[in-house]
Amino acid sequence: MAGFEILDPTVEPRRQPLTYVPRPDSLKGKRIGLVENTKFNSDKLLRRIGDILKTEYGAAEARMWRKHNAGVPAHQEILDDARQTIDVVVAGIGD
Amino acid sequence: MTSRISSQRYAVDDYQQALDLCYRRGWTDGLPVVPPTEPAVRAMLGAVGLEPDAQIAFITNRQVAISAEKVAINAVMAGCLPEYMPVVVAAIEGIADPRWGYHGPATSTGSAAVLTIVNGPIAKRLDFNSGDNLFSPGWRANATVGRAVRLVMRNVIGTMPGRLDRGTFGHPGRYTYVMAENEAESPWTPLHVERTGCRATDSAVTVMAALAPIQFYNQLSNTAAGVLGTLCDTMKYPGQIGQPNYCVVLAGEHMRTIAADGWSKADIRKFIFENTTNTIAHFKRTARMPGAIKPEDETAPRPLVQSPDDILVVAAGGRAGSFSCFIPGWASRTSSEAVTVVIKERRA
Repeated sequence: MAGFEILDPTVEPRRQPLTYVPRPDSLKGKRIGLVENTKFNSDKLLRRIGDILKTEYGAAEARMWRKHNAGVPAHQEILDDARQTIDVVVAGIGD
Repeated sequence: MTSRISSQRYAVDDYQQALDLCYRRGWTDGLPVVPPTEPAVRAMLGAVGLEPDAQIAFITNRQVAISAEKVAINAVMAGCLPEYMPVVVAAIEGIADPRWGYHGPATSTGSAAVLTIVNGPIAKRLDFNSGDNLFSPGWRANATVGRAVRLVMRNVIGTMPGRLDRGTFGHPGRYTYVMAENEAESPWTPLHVERTGCRATDSAVTVMAALAPIQFYNQLSNTAAGVLGTLCDTMKYPGQIGQPNYCVVLAGEHMRTIAADGWSKADIRKFIFENTTNTIAHFKRTARMPGAIKPEDETAPRPLVQSPDDILVVAAGGRAGSFSCFIPGWASRTSSEAVTVVIKERRA
């Protein structure tokens, strides 16, 4: 068999620049957003984290949003609301 | 077709070297692949009338555009004949549909496979198995179409076991999980006609994020209710809760028994829906739902699926044997649902 060429079956994902908001030096007085992913107990876990951030780190408040399901990003309403109302986000998975 | 194939090329001396390269680069599912040469890839594209750079689908979570060229390369590697390409393309469109929700079933610890059901004249023409040994090896179309979809998932979308794909058990159906409906012997409306309203002369694929098939046995009943009663008893308890779909596959003997009582697929779905309802208490007692059991939970109904229409009834499997099976869907209604795509045999 003579030599031949084969074709690469893969692709590179499209690269997107991601810009992070700088981490705050302190959580004192910050408004905390909690993004719950619908898994059992993820709400409890995040609520506990929110409580700790308030009592031990001085965060002003903590509020929670619920995603449509665990397999999708936070939907637009969450993003829009979060931009207006909170300073820091905690997202987690409950498996 | 004159457009350029843009994928990177690798020169090899012979088949063994090509195979070694594919293994080394992680491009196979563990089995040997057919080397994707340009003539073979062009034949695949030509069979469906697609230019190499035509976009078949876009997976938002991965920010990956799936081109016809990459689907063709992976279909060649899987061992597909060029005439299978329209089926592969339709299945890829199905799993990229937002209703299928690619990210969840592809990556979850819950280990779904892509159950693919082929309907319409294309199934017979391409010799998709719909009968004896339904899920067994031996049929090129069943074996390679499902394999091609999985290779696209792996190589194009990046669904790599151990990395983005974190399945706890994985699934043997991830090699392939393809069947056709036995429309020639079925007394019922084919699945694709029921789900899309297309004509029976159209062809379609239905993709469902699915767990393994579970077989049940009933050699005693000669009534529809008798056979399906056994199914419901078997179906009611296993698995998770809140699954989006179940596929019920009725093989020859059961199909004939149920049809002899004059039951339609709608009758079958209604019976199954009504006879597989659990109580909230049962799910709490067996730790499938959280919380303490309240008195009202003992009678609070929890149907297996939200609607009878979430049960896909398919006539397929061997003519002989008092067996049929059901296939639970993966996860929940908000995470993924079965999608039916009518096959376009020629795109241009």
